[in-house]
Amino acid sequence: MSATKSVFTRLTGKNIVMSYTGPFDGQVLSMFGKNIEHSISADKKLNKTIFKVFIELAQNVSYYSNEQEQTKKGESSGVGTFIIQNNDDHYNFILGNPIDKKHEIILKDKCDKINSYDRDGLRTFKRELRKLPQGERGTGNIGLVQAALLSRNPLNVSFIEIEKEKSFYIIAVKINKEA
Amino acid sequence: MENIHIEGSHTNFFIPTVDFNSETGYCLLEGESFLEDTIEFYDPLIQWLEEFTTEVKNPLTFEIKLTYFNTSTSRSILDLLNIIKDYEEDGGEVLINWYYDEDDIDMEEDIEDYMLDTGLEIEMIPFED
Repeated sequence: MSATKSVFTRLTGKNIVMSYTGPFDGQVLSMFGKNIEHSISADKKLNKTIFKVFIELAQNVSYYSNEQEQTKKGESSGVGTFIIQNNDDHYNFILGNPIDKKHEIILKDKCDKINSYDRDGLRTFKRELRKLPQGERGTGNIGLVQAALLSRNPLNVSFIEIEKEKSFYIIAVKINKEA
Repeated sequence: MENIHIEGSHTNFFIPTVDFNSETGYCLLEGESFLEDTIEFYDPLIQWLEEFTTEVKNPLTFEIKLTYFNTSTSRSILDLLNIIKDYEEDGGEVLINWYYDEDDIDMEEDIEDYMLDTGLEIEMIPFED
């Protein structure tokens, strides 16, 4: 994943306050989660929002990245990369992982649908998804919906072609400093 | 019927504190919930609540003091609340208190949405962080 990581870093390489590339197993999620929650900024409420967005989106990498790595416990965990940028009036949380190219359109459609809703629409959509049984196909959407609700900003999605059948999926969420 | 007590922790994952007491009918879910296996953690709580509401049938006070839960946990909370709703419809005496940080608008909306989904009356109790 090093070639795509360098593209990713070049695209996003300014004002980075935290970054990571590797497997997104529970231990990693928890470690970065705690760091974000307690120390990314002096604003506790803002830290909590970034932490919540991180957990929802990072779990999707863990489940859906098409590059999987065995953890020490022998479990499989998705590989990806994330950065957090500190800009003047907002933080950017940017996360990427390799996917099958055929999934590009599905992911783009999901995010377009989420971006088309106002806050009430998003809340209704989240309630519909929450009623689906755990693990049912498509329920991963709920994490994306939650990220949009928490950030109060649209989800920005892009793709970088890695090879014929493989893309690097990037999702960026802006989190305003002033709520 | 045995009580359930789980001491919350904040190590690799965020495990909430759980206190389900069958003698008093007092149930508490407190802390943060982000788990390695959400279903594995919440299934025994769901089974306990089903047993309490179908066999013990005493008044139930359910208190939630979660400061954070991920969307995976939110499904299990809905399962718990649906059992309480069924119990209430069958004539069970139910009180639900949900404590939340007064600045946490997202949590406030979540509680409102749970009320819409279940039809339960949830006492929303804001606290100052």
